[in-house]
Amino acid sequence: MVDTLLSGQLLFAALVSGSLYALVALGLNLVYGTLRLLNIAHGDLVMIGAYVAFWLFTLLAVPPVVALVVAAVLCAVLGWAVYAGLFRRMLAKPALARRVEANSLILFYGISVILQNSAALAFTASPRAYRWLDTVITWGGVSMTLNRLLTLGVAAGLCLGVLAFLRFHLFGWGLRAVIQRREAAQVVGVNIERVQLATICAGFAVAGMAGVLVSMTEQITPFMGFPFTIVAFVVIIVGGLGNIGAGVLAGFALGLVETYGIALTSAGYRSILIYGIFVAVLMVRPEGLFTRAVRT
Amino acid sequence: MKGIWPTAGVVLAGLALAAPLSGNAYLTGVAFQIAMWIALAQSWSMLSATTGYVSLGHAVFYGIGGYVAVLLVDAAPFPLVLLVAALAPAVFAAVIGLPVLRVRGPYFVILTYGLSELVRHGVMRIESALGSFGRMIFSAPSPEALLWWMVALAVAATLGAWAVRHSRFGAGLAAIREDEVAAETLGVPTARLKLLALIASAIIPGAVGGLAMMRTGYFEPGQAFDPVVSFTIVTMALVGGTDSVRGPVMGAIGFALLSELLWSSFPQLYMIVLGAALIGFVLFVPQGLSGLVDRIAGRRA
Amino acid sequence: MKRRTTLAGIALGALMAVAPLGTAWAADPIRIGYAIARTGIFAAAAPSQENPYALWQEQVNAAGGMELPGGERRPVEFVSYDDQSNPANTVRIYERLITQDKVDLLAAPWGTPMHLALAPVLQRYKFPMVGNTAASVQLRKVAPGYIWFVTSAIPDSMGAEMAAMLKANGMKSVAVLANELPYAQEFRSFLLPALKEQGIEVLVDQSYPPDAKDMTSLLVEVKGKSPDAVLALTYPADAFLFTGQARELGLASPFVLSLIGPTIDAYRKAFGGAADGIVSSAHWSGQSDMWPRGKAFFDAYVAKFGEEPDALDSAVTWMSMEILQQAVAKAGLDHEKLREAIATGTFDTINGPVKFDGVQNAMTPTGFVQIQNGKIELVWPPAIKTADFKPKQGW
Repeated sequence: MVDTLLSGQLLFAALVSGSLYALVALGLNLVYGTLRLLNIAHGDLVMIGAYVAFWLFTLLAVPPVVALVVAAVLCAVLGWAVYAGLFRRMLAKPALARRVEANSLILFYGISVILQNSAALAFTASPRAYRWLDTVITWGGVSMTLNRLLTLGVAAGLCLGVLAFLRFHLFGWGLRAVIQRREAAQVVGVNIERVQLATICAGFAVAGMAGVLVSMTEQITPFMGFPFTIVAFVVIIVGGLGNIGAGVLAGFALGLVETYGIALTSAGYRSILIYGIFVAVLMVRPEGLFTRAVRT
Repeated sequence: MKGIWPTAGVVLAGLALAAPLSGNAYLTGVAFQIAMWIALAQSWSMLSATTGYVSLGHAVFYGIGGYVAVLLVDAAPFPLVLLVAALAPAVFAAVIGLPVLRVRGPYFVILTYGLSELVRHGVMRIESALGSFGRMIFSAPSPEALLWWMVALAVAATLGAWAVRHSRFGAGLAAIREDEVAAETLGVPTARLKLLALIASAIIPGAVGGLAMMRTGYFEPGQAFDPVVSFTIVTMALVGGTDSVRGPVMGAIGFALLSELLWSSFPQLYMIVLGAALIGFVLFVPQGLSGLVDRIAGRRA
Repeated sequence: MKRRTTLAGIALGALMAVAPLGTAWAADPIRIGYAIARTGIFAAAAPSQENPYALWQEQVNAAGGMELPGGERRPVEFVSYDDQSNPANTVRIYERLITQDKVDLLAAPWGTPMHLALAPVLQRYKFPMVGNTAASVQLRKVAPGYIWFVTSAIPDSMGAEMAAMLKANGMKSVAVLANELPYAQEFRSFLLPALKEQGIEVLVDQSYPPDAKDMTSLLVEVKGKSPDAVLALTYPADAFLFTGQARELGLASPFVLSLIGPTIDAYRKAFGGAADGIVSSAHWSGQSDMWPRGKAFFDAYVAKFGEEPDALDSAVTWMSMEILQQAVAKAGLDHEKLREAIATGTFDTINGPVKFDGVQNAMTPTGFVQIQNGKIELVWPPAIKTADFKPKQGW
């Protein structure tokens, strides 16, 4: 038992799923933090990224590493379209913006339904999959499939990159300012609309890239997205809505809890464990476990 | 009093309609569906429209009621089964209410969803520990009898929602929606009122869940606690409009008829058109169908 | 008040307006109705059933139509709706198909819950339907009458056959990993006593939820116990998860079962040679020479859809249509005559002859397949096998 817990194999598995959770949640957190929109279509962007990777690989033999860029661009354009077409209008109407949670929930529900069913119509619902970089290497007694190792590297790298950007780039400062003190940010001259547009594009792009990573190891279907939406919500709640850094931390924490929780108890309790933590955090500490900020 | 008569009129018209329909299985099915969504959306509005606490977890009440009804249906007379199915989620709401209702805004929305999923996975675990692999229901009442029960629940929910809005209780809930902190300072017992509203909004969905399982004739926790139920309730209420009691009625009827129409005309595109309709509603008809009717009526008058 | 009732009137009128659409159709083609999950959790599984329907329609119409008693042929046409993976919708849709669209025949929806929910509806309207993609011992609780189940992959006989197959191949210990969804749990409940009876030791017995995202902890435990056989009672989504991670860990057991999933075309595309040696549930193979109709179906399917038919779902779907077609040729479209014909007849299918005993297929043996060189081969029971079981040689 102890051997199992100390083995690098479990740690590797926990880090791979943790990094993916962190990446998927990062995009959702950006959109929530700056726009206060409950994007329940987030997982469907993961689905789109996965299909981009599948078709590029299957039809044109383009490796998923390149698909990362294509998926990011495509999802960013989608983000721009959604923002310019729908949310600018919504946020501009006081009657709609007043109930932004309820309204954004329904809007994104509509978008989610459209994305899923368009994909089903275009590609059929048949599960898809492809093989790429699936050599298993063993290092220090830990077996790793190369595409899972790549997932870990890319996902962790992207998370760190975004965090660094927020900390060190001027635009990142503006973004953080909008998340934390919206009115104040406007007063000091941050172009809120530009920040919002950029964030929604970035948030969508990150989700699309996560989809490319997922496609290497899972079956791809038009309805694969929703579980990712849920995982992302669990992560950003545990980390704290709008708190980008804590969200990344929480993603990795969830990966560890899932893997080691199963090892310590029983696999049957996996979902009860995860939703239990989620509900408990919301009830006891809705600002998130890793946030010190005062409740507003 | 203004709001109650037209609303009751619509529901009664539904009732009157249901009578000649009972011979036609297809229309019985549609009427059952409409009555079901009216009952659910009205119940939801007792909490969410009045207080502004948007619940995305009403499937949990529906599911608990359904589960209880399926467990009891062979052991007790049917009205008693429904009664217990209605009370079980009310008890559940009373137990979880206080801590849950301390949470506000988007957190509340997500929390209610999470709770519903937690219970769903809990029931799945229980069922697999019991060695049950889905339950078939052999002693369900006839579809016509079920329709009558469901229409009764729709009427009860509508009257209940009206009573809540037009009472001191409802005034207190409205105060919570406008400014909870101020209401509390003014001596409104906010915690108690919210808890009562939550319990009130949990009762009828339990009975509805019981009827729905009887209608389907098969129970599986994954489907009884389907999150789509929660989403559909919120959607219908918002499409109908949350400012009046007739909103959810109109939302449920409009939505159900739209589904039937699209279903037969665009079997492949149906869901896509539905999604687009939702988006259009939020953007262009923010007050919902009921607000739209008022606007047209106001312009004419 | 007046305006409200007018509105309700308009709405009702709109509803009525769509109603006659179905009946206004010309009486010429035979109309066959079904519901299927085009959206929701079962949607990914449904094409394996809807594709055979489409292929069947194409072939029947190319041959001049469906044959009726006396040799008359009429073209067939499908009327179908999306049940959104919800059995409540399935019930409503079939009521609609029967009473509103007034279809001539019914084809089955996808999935056990849908079939079970449908049985009372068919009984009420005395409308016969040959079921296909459903498997549960609960099927036996359904009163014999208007529904029949083609598959022989029923959990109780599968439990016994699996244990017998393990014993026959010298497996002495197993690890059981079961998805929490009903079919897997039902199989597990029959498998465990059967294993005990055959004297096979169960080293690990764990269940996992359908939304599991990582199985490494489970598989590390399994690997540590080195069982002869790993029996993963999977559904398609977690079949991918299980196989990918078992491969990463290099699970060394010579016998690996993944219950549902490996017969799907995408599974073999995802794992290629690593999928070789995986055992799965099915009682048909396109490789078999025993059933001449089978190879023809396999080739036509590959030609039309560019992928192989699912040896389980696509096969039973095709069988259900063969049975319906042969019964109609004998008895016509009258519901009672048709019911009689299906209940008593013996039918020639891609899986050999089929005859029903009550609701169940009494002829087709319960079997298991194994992926060998990328092909689905029947390896159990010996009477219908197309190849011998080969111990899994690495990943």
